[in-house]
Amino acid sequence: MAYSSKVLEHYNNPRNVGSFAKDDADVGTGVVGAPECGDVMKLQLKISDSGVIEDARFKTFGCGSAIASSSYVTELVKGKHIDEAIAIRNTTIVQELNLPPVKIHCSVLAEDAIKAAIADWKKRKGTAADDLKVAEG
Amino acid sequence: MVQCPSCARRSEPCLVCPQCGGPLPAETDGFTALGLPPKLVIDLDELERAYHTISRRIHPDHFVASPPDVRAASLKGTALLTRSYRILRDSISRGIYWLELKGDKLSESNNRVPAELAELVFEVQEQLAELRASRDQSGDQSKGLAANMLHVRQDLDIAMNRALDELNGNFRRWDSGAASEASLRGELKAVLARIAYLRTLIRDVDRELETVEAA
Repeated sequence: MAYSSKVLEHYNNPRNVGSFAKDDADVGTGVVGAPECGDVMKLQLKISDSGVIEDARFKTFGCGSAIASSSYVTELVKGKHIDEAIAIRNTTIVQELNLPPVKIHCSVLAEDAIKAAIADWKKRKGTAADDLKVAEG
Repeated sequence: MVQCPSCARRSEPCLVCPQCGGPLPAETDGFTALGLPPKLVIDLDELERAYHTISRRIHPDHFVASPPDVRAASLKGTALLTRSYRILRDSISRGIYWLELKGDKLSESNNRVPAELAELVFEVQEQLAELRASRDQSGDQSKGLAANMLHVRQDLDIAMNRALDELNGNFRRWDSGAASEASLRGELKAVLARIAYLRTLIRDVDRELETVEAA
């Protein structure tokens, strides 16, 4: 199967690869996986007290589409408020990267990683339990 | 009920007509196709015997000169039989198939990776990256990393065997009805996901070790 040029571009030149210190209170970490293919994705978001995503890092072990999806997401969420970031749907990623149907689960994974990272940040910040439930959807 | 294209008599859906022994155009689940009860613990010898017995009965080679509907039943039945056999003989694919029979899917609400497992995945992947990077430089560092990776590979085998044991334990509990379906299903999905992550990791380690060996 041929990858789209945008997938290849992110794959060959991934943005924001790496990690933040896990114990940094401003950092939310989301680790999600796709059990059908065994891919694992870690997304970390550095979030200000007002809830703005200041920086993002990812590490993904998986296929080119999974790597491209997470790379694209790190660019997409930077500068956004968490309420905006939580509303990002995988369809946005599918459209941007031209993902074929068999790779849609990679975009779902990236969407879930954002939610998991924000939920983790909220938990660390001790935000009200109701908010957390919404975030975990 | 399904009607036999050879003898026109009706029987419960299965692949071999119990009246005349001809192929039946039945669409059954994999267990029924092989004439087995819907149980997760399977004796593999028994499974293989069932496969060969039914295959001999309905194989298309025997129906070359038969009417089209009999030939069609033989072809479809053989395809279903072979597919079912392949799925059921492997405990992992059997477990995934079982979830589908229960109207569930392995990936459905099942994407959180347990922290401990995630840590293992990232740790091993980073060691692999290190090994890959050291490949171009000859010498002791690369050798040391490769030797360490062999230990990692053994540990992964142990973890995989433990997961497979757990899978079998889950199978036994399904068969004995030892717990509610919901809890058994949750348990099955969790252990199958763990196996998937371990399998991917083992694949990546093996690839790297092969490259090291070839060099």
